[in-house]
Amino acid sequence: MAVKRKAIEDPDLNLTPIMNLVTILIPFLIMAAQFVQLSVIDSTLPAIGPPTEVEPPKPDDKPPLQLSLALKGDGIVVLGADQIIYPDGAPEVAEGEKRPPTLPCKSGGVCTNVEDYDWDSLQQKLNLIKDEYPDDENVILVPASDTQYEIIVRAMDIAREDAEAGTGDGPRTLFPFVVVAGGAM
Amino acid sequence: MATKKARRPEVDTNLNINSMMDMMTIILVFLLKSYSASDVSVAPSDNLTLPFSSAQKAPEVAVNLVIEQGQILVDGVPVLQLGRKADEESGKELASIPEDEMQGQNIGKLYDILFEKAEQAKTLGERSNNPDLAFKGRILLQVDREMPYSVLRSVMYTAGQAQFGEFKFVVYKQE
Repeated sequence: MAVKRKAIEDPDLNLTPIMNLVTILIPFLIMAAQFVQLSVIDSTLPAIGPPTEVEPPKPDDKPPLQLSLALKGDGIVVLGADQIIYPDGAPEVAEGEKRPPTLPCKSGGVCTNVEDYDWDSLQQKLNLIKDEYPDDENVILVPASDTQYEIIVRAMDIAREDAEAGTGDGPRTLFPFVVVAGGAM
Repeated sequence: MATKKARRPEVDTNLNINSMMDMMTIILVFLLKSYSASDVSVAPSDNLTLPFSSAQKAPEVAVNLVIEQGQILVDGVPVLQLGRKADEESGKELASIPEDEMQGQNIGKLYDILFEKAEQAKTLGERSNNPDLAFKGRILLQVDREMPYSVLRSVMYTAGQAQFGEFKFVVYKQE
């Protein structure tokens, strides 16, 4: 007896509804996609910054750290930590003359762009200062009036943390409270 | 004479969309990955290039102040046109705020608008009784990377006078 064969069914899945769905989803997602990641750097006005606790200094205490970084056309001046940067005494500055930059531009003379500033040395110096003052978290940036914003942001990055000196659980935090101050030097 | 038309053999009219489905699935996954519901957005232009930074903090909603080459905008509305002036020390031509816009250290037009925004936000905060909506003096600053500090200083001073003391500098996150 001949066995009746079943008609072969078409094995194609009907994908059209899924196609419809995906075609609608894609324009929506393209609109909501963000191809550049944004982040923010916090800063406050110097006058209303985080309150500084004024404690009577103990006799054996180190003098409080008043770290400032002046960003000038010819380099960076590190102020307020002379005893660490110059263990043998700060260089003499003649009266009426400006203090030479602690970290001059790599090319000498006037810095031409962001990379011309000596960021690596600044990072080293800040690490040294942090070693001496592990509890201090404030730094004041004093840019000159023609300093570009890009340079200020880079100085904030360097002052906030050191990615290479991390201890396993992220970069080493240096001075996270960065305040941008007024006047140029 | 009756002629019989030769029938064409039936052709399967189904379009094969399998390969297209494959492609769409990959695009969908990629787009879902870059999906972000962030409240802060930048409109990049030739006049506004943000600097890169290693900062990791996510932006939050606040008054949006943009300083690009040529003008200052508050929440997308142009407030002030910037001029260009040669710097006294270096002689380079840099963006500057026109002298007649300055009232002492303040930028007059900018102060008026920011003060109004602050008052609005305060009223809103008081009426809502929601501590999340209370006025905290936060302001997002999107600044072109070549902007000289003199312009930034005046803007920051003016914002401070108008009760905005918590600056958030918007930057591109470094990969």
